[in-house]
Amino acid sequence: MKRSHQGMLSRLNDTLRWMDNTVRWTGFPARVADDMSDDPLVDRNHRPLRWFPIFYIAVSCVLLVLPLIWLLKLDHVRPGAIVASMTAMVICLMTGAVSIHTSGPLGKPSREDDEREATLRKDSFLFCLGLLAALNCLGQPSLLILSHWQGWSIAQSAMVVFCTLMLNAVLLGTLPTLYASWNFPRLPRE
Amino acid sequence: MSRRQLAEAVGVNPQTIGYLERGDYKPSLELALKIARHFGVAVEMVFSLDRFAIMTFGRTGEGE
Repeated sequence: MKRSHQGMLSRLNDTLRWMDNTVRWTGFPARVADDMSDDPLVDRNHRPLRWFPIFYIAVSCVLLVLPLIWLLKLDHVRPGAIVASMTAMVICLMTGAVSIHTSGPLGKPSREDDEREATLRKDSFLFCLGLLAALNCLGQPSLLILSHWQGWSIAQSAMVVFCTLMLNAVLLGTLPTLYASWNFPRLPRE
Repeated sequence: MSRRQLAEAVGVNPQTIGYLERGDYKPSLELALKIARHFGVAVEMVFSLDRFAIMTFGRTGEGE
């Protein structure tokens, strides 16, 4: 009876270990290990976020590309539905961008920064603003040419402007975190 | 001495000491001087433009 109980526990442990291994690539097992450790090198509230910002920027890019390749016919759609969907988009994207920024390495107040973190914060925002400026300088004339070439309606122009604004806001919120997260590798435990 | 103790002594975060140890971060002159003063040695004993010679068996001599 005791032996069968131990065998069951062993099988259960094997199953749990297998389940842990299948989700190791997501980073959540490492996150749980960090939460359970008392290592001073682990800042539990502000961790490097290497993949979430990329996913978020990709979603925002797709939202911008959709109205460019798919000519919108919004004549038969109720204005209330358009406003509601745009509001939902704003809330989802802004909530995500703000939470990525606050839980990333640059999320804590800048007055708590030491010299390395202050330099990292400065470099991250310079990288972000430089890239945003370059993208906008290239993107605005490109969109202007595209609008003349495709003959956009006012509704489609408004949608593209709205999605461009959202992409800018998401890039402003997530690019510094992305830069800071990739710039310093994860430290080994002490 | 742990990283946390040294970090508290020189007024930085423990992560910064970790990156200094790995050679991933170059400190300011002020931080280098603070660390040297904390150990009571000249700054050249702790930081160098060239790689330090190997001091212990099995470890590579990483500069800074």
